[in-house]
Amino acid sequence: MVRLSELHPEEAEHMLGRAALLKRSSFDFDATPWIMPKPLRESTIALISTAALHRRDDPAFRFGDTGYRLIPNDIDPAELVQSHISVNFDRTHYQRDLNVVLPIDRMRELAEAGEIGGVSPIHFSILGATESFLFERTGEEIARRLHDLGVDTAMLVPV
Amino acid sequence: MPFPLGRPLGVADDPAFQRDVLRSALKLLESATEPTIVDYPNEAPDANGEGVWACAIELPTPEMSELESAVRSEIDLLMPRYQEARRSRGRSTFGMSGATIDQVDKVVSFAIAVAEGSGFEDVPSAASGPNWRHAMPILVRFVVEDLRALYQEAVTSDASSRPPSQREMHTWIFQETALGQLLKQIAQQITDHDDPRLRLMRGFIIPEGFWDGDRAFGGVPAGMSPDDYVRSIRPYLIGEQS
Repeated sequence: MVRLSELHPEEAEHMLGRAALLKRSSFDFDATPWIMPKPLRESTIALISTAALHRRDDPAFRFGDTGYRLIPNDIDPAELVQSHISVNFDRTHYQRDLNVVLPIDRMRELAEAGEIGGVSPIHFSILGATESFLFERTGEEIARRLHDLGVDTAMLVPV
Repeated sequence: MPFPLGRPLGVADDPAFQRDVLRSALKLLESATEPTIVDYPNEAPDANGEGVWACAIELPTPEMSELESAVRSEIDLLMPRYQEARRSRGRSTFGMSGATIDQVDKVVSFAIAVAEGSGFEDVPSAASGPNWRHAMPILVRFVVEDLRALYQEAVTSDASSRPPSQREMHTWIFQETALGQLLKQIAQQITDHDDPRLRLMRGFIIPEGFWDGDRAFGGVPAGMSPDDYVRSIRPYLIGEQS
């Protein structure tokens, strides 16, 4: 997460407003869920990007979209576009190198080096500009799909 | 991760640094015993280098009176670099609007028509052809993004030169290009429009600090939170409600 001091003051104010909203809308849980995960060397890992990436043929993310899109691990990066609504983040590095927002090559390298157990055949993408408390159903659905894929760990990559 | 917005892995084309960011995050799984926040200790490699970034492609000084020809001239000058970037990277992010790069002529026609007052209800008649992926009015925002993608990918095509920071890129577009003048003219059409709900879209086109007027995200009624306001007008902006 960028430092607030490096943002335009009005953008920083917007971020603080979003954080306050998140705090006000926090969910109630009966218990704090915490598990000790499998060792990384045995874990299959999936990426969840908030960059609104999707395949060119998939439905584009619409403003306020709470859905998700699937990104195969072996996707040709040329097939991905981004429907994120914000103009206030840096796209130049993503335009040079997809791994800046979706590190699929880096994950493959960690798996080949034996540092992680494997990489999910499918990754997930959402539109991070949508308020996070609206994602409860999508979160549950992604969790089910991760379970069905045999994924041990999901790594959220916020843009 | 103390990196600029839009760069969660820090920097392009630096696999070693990107792997270190990933490792640092993943290793928390083996050390944390409760929900934990840890700051990543390293700054992104100084991809922006020393000095001030300047576009290596010299564009003619744009004139508002001939905005369309100025934008088309810029695109003619930039297209060889764009195609080079597309070839060397094996990809392009152009296409968010639904247009393909060989339909860029229609993308320009679209943006020019909106800037000259065609309105925000219907796709301009001069822009028929592409399989537009969004409805009006939010389609305008993605048409703009495609033009920006073309410009940005073109001027960063030289992998050996340092890339601009986000602010340098915004500054170049809005202060030195005809595209920037075109975007400001679209923003003015939004500002002058009768429907204040449209005002929010200006903030998706003009970054904070580049609009000489009220805030880039204008139009939030007094006493209403920005998020509540955004939720209330989304159906209008995505074309589901008139």
